[in-house]
Amino acid sequence: MIDVKGLCKSFGDNHVLVDIDEHIEKGEKVVIVGPSGSGKSTFLRCLNLLERPTAGTITFEGRDITSAKTKEVNQIRQKMGMVFQHFNLFNHLTIMDNITLAPVKLKLMSKEEACQKAMELLHRVGLADKAAAYPAQLSGGQKQRIAIVRSLAMNPDVMLFDEPTSALDPEMVGEVLDLMKQLADSGMTMVVVTHEMGFAREVGSRVLFMADGHILEQNTPEEFFTHPKNDRLKDFLSKVL
Amino acid sequence: MLEWLEGCGEAFYRAFLESDRYLAYLRGFRTSMVLSLFAVLLGVGIGVILALIKYMGNHMRKGIILRALNWIANIYIAVIRGTPVYVQLLIIYFIIFGKLDASPMVAGVLCFGINSSAYVAEIIRAGIEAVDAGQMEAGRSLGLSWGQTMASIILPQAVKNILPALGNEFITLIKETAIVGTIAVLDVTKAAQNVAAITYDLLPPLLITAAMYLIVVIILTKLLGMFERRLAQSDRR
Repeated sequence: MIDVKGLCKSFGDNHVLVDIDEHIEKGEKVVIVGPSGSGKSTFLRCLNLLERPTAGTITFEGRDITSAKTKEVNQIRQKMGMVFQHFNLFNHLTIMDNITLAPVKLKLMSKEEACQKAMELLHRVGLADKAAAYPAQLSGGQKQRIAIVRSLAMNPDVMLFDEPTSALDPEMVGEVLDLMKQLADSGMTMVVVTHEMGFAREVGSRVLFMADGHILEQNTPEEFFTHPKNDRLKDFLSKVL
Repeated sequence: MLEWLEGCGEAFYRAFLESDRYLAYLRGFRTSMVLSLFAVLLGVGIGVILALIKYMGNHMRKGIILRALNWIANIYIAVIRGTPVYVQLLIIYFIIFGKLDASPMVAGVLCFGINSSAYVAEIIRAGIEAVDAGQMEAGRSLGLSWGQTMASIILPQAVKNILPALGNEFITLIKETAIVGTIAVLDVTKAAQNVAAITYDLLPPLLITAAMYLIVVIILTKLLGMFERRLAQSDRR
């Protein structure tokens, strides 16, 4: 589904991603872990071109998106939902408008269809009573669940999560992870950058370890956590587990 | 003491009511307001364009056209903000409009509009920049175009940052137009001077004029405050 070849990204002399090859299959739940500054967020942001790769190609559903025109990129992004560390809900809009804005503006649904879909999703995450509220009235965990719903309203083929629980108070991490698990169980293709090792172990179909712009090791969660081979990974796991 | 007060009353009567002179003030006042209003509209119009050029110049991959536009916008803003509005007024009316048979009012609107646009551009650009970068990313990640995200997500939020400063700019502009009498526009300040020329008493007309400016400014400040509170609705918890 997503095919990455020779992906490089530099900011000036700072080489954040160095020659990354990676292939993500439909239905996979790929979890990316690693120390901060290892390039995992940049890698994720390259997948939907929020960051422009310096070199390399990314193919999504058979289309090379790195050479696509802006208009095509916009279309491709409709199929790639993204959830941010800081939620990035539209603060001037109600929850309902947050969810329906993009589908309606992009003429994918009528206003009525979008509202119906939004209510359906809101019921699923247990936040139907918040439809008329503004983001400022919600807790962090609720905001992140709404952000996930906002992405889901576009019927994406893949969901990208950029440290979705890192900005949350500890007691709210659970509700967001639960929703992500539900999503994973429903068969959604997911790429998740996270520090939640429990989530990686339980939900991930594959775990990648990134450091210094390289993918140093990848494996199934059991192997990854019980028999790490790379020294950097052993060191990393000894600190976080 | 009583005599002095009586003298004051007499002076103000002569400056304001005698021979229906208040009509001259009111006509001048209307001219001042119309001038300010059109100037601020022109200023916002040009200012928005300049602000978007500068914002794009700061945040997008630059093509040659954008680079050139950005350069022009920077020079425009530097020149307009770096020279006195009085000098700009003289240049526009006597040099640029000198050969044309245009009304001084049009020259005034153009001058104050252009002058205001440079300040407005910076106000709007700063207001847009103050919106969290994550908002643009969220919009783009949903597949919205740059323009769509700008129009329905960034600008509505930037308005909240822009409005107070823009209101202040409007208030400043109203007061600055007091020099427009120089190019023979009969604004309220010029009207006061004309009255003084008849009554040989400068103080009462000037105090009346000052009071008129003050009242408008106070009313506008109040309106602005109300509008800001309305806009702050979504911030409330």
